[in-house]
Amino acid sequence: MRLLSMTGLALVAGFGLSAAGTHAAQAPSPAGGTSTSSATPAEDQAASELKEHHRHHHDGGVTKFIAMSLDTLGTDDAKRPQIEQLQSDLHAQMAPGREAEQSLQLELADGITAGTVDTVKVDAAIARLTTAADTEQAASLDTLNKLHAILSPSERAALVDKVQAHWEVWRQVNHEEQPGGRERGGRLAELTEEVSLTPDQVTKISAALHTAMAGLSDKFDPKKGEAHVHAFSAAFAGRSFNAKAVTSNANAHLASRGATRMAIFYETVTPLLTPEQRTKLAAELREHANHRAAA
Amino acid sequence: MRITERLLRKSEDLMNRSLVTMLTGAVVVSCLAAAPARAGLNVQIFPPALFRATTTPVYYQGHPSYWYGSRWHYRDGRGWQSYNEEPRYLRDYRTQHETQRHYYGRDSEHHR
Repeated sequence: MRLLSMTGLALVAGFGLSAAGTHAAQAPSPAGGTSTSSATPAEDQAASELKEHHRHHHDGGVTKFIAMSLDTLGTDDAKRPQIEQLQSDLHAQMAPGREAEQSLQLELADGITAGTVDTVKVDAAIARLTTAADTEQAASLDTLNKLHAILSPSERAALVDKVQAHWEVWRQVNHEEQPGGRERGGRLAELTEEVSLTPDQVTKISAALHTAMAGLSDKFDPKKGEAHVHAFSAAFAGRSFNAKAVTSNANAHLASRGATRMAIFYETVTPLLTPEQRTKLAAELREHANHRAAA
Repeated sequence: MRITERLLRKSEDLMNRSLVTMLTGAVVVSCLAAAPARAGLNVQIFPPALFRATTTPVYYQGHPSYWYGSRWHYRDGRGWQSYNEEPRYLRDYRTQHETQRHYYGRDSEHHR
């Protein structure tokens, strides 16, 4: 009886698997031709670099997402010089925030090297960054109006989609990702790779990050960011656009909460690292800070 | 002798139970895998945020389109759509150009 039931199960399993195989063979085949590249759902280098970028840079909030979206907008050659000029203008308008963030990152790097992060200095740097980020939207109004005027409806749609994509990635790595989570592609997994953490260090850091983030009093409110992105998207996708009419401004909120989460991460992991690991981590953070200074 | 027999029977029962558990698992997995085929469903994967934020689209028929998962996808007022048959323009573009990705790594010239 037992043998019969097991044989039955094996036959059903075999039938199911063969049906699945048939489905795979009958599924629409990739379009023909000699594909030069075919992205897969797996996270690739560009994707993981973007996550790292959004974990470390919070100065411009949604204005920054707009500027970054121009990197991959793909406009025609005739428009490109004007688009690049407008992107350059946006970067110049975000310079105060960029400088404040650079000093925050260098302060953190010094603390990591020393073995203790000076939280008073770090908090002061975050406050300067928040103030600077709050003014960036107003500074960029004219540039955004020019940008809208120069883009076609389909390019505006592409830009809006890219701003939403950047916001989604930023929110994922700075809010939705579990503090101390050990998932592949997560911050702790990256740190493990960057400075070769031991399994014991991973366990301790994971617990410490969970505790440190849980104690955070001023939590990030994704609804504020969502409101800003939605207001910009709805307005920019239209035929006429007046940047001044977009009254939602979550730039300071994103800058403040993103930078705080970044600072807490480094403050928490620093005492749990060896001197060699701290040196390496500080050097990587200085790279983030100094690349921005060169830009 | 009796104890040995009982132990052997117990061990046999355990093995049989493990085998039944494994086969039941295989049945469940195989049925789930085969379900879309029987239902005629075609599971679509649209380009995720990480991909769209780092990839230059190709403009076609008023939409920015992305080549992702061996298909072209675009978004309109109804949401994400895919071309079941690859349009000639997009196919020609794809066979003549590399997909343009943007890299934001620390050592990238674009990092800012």
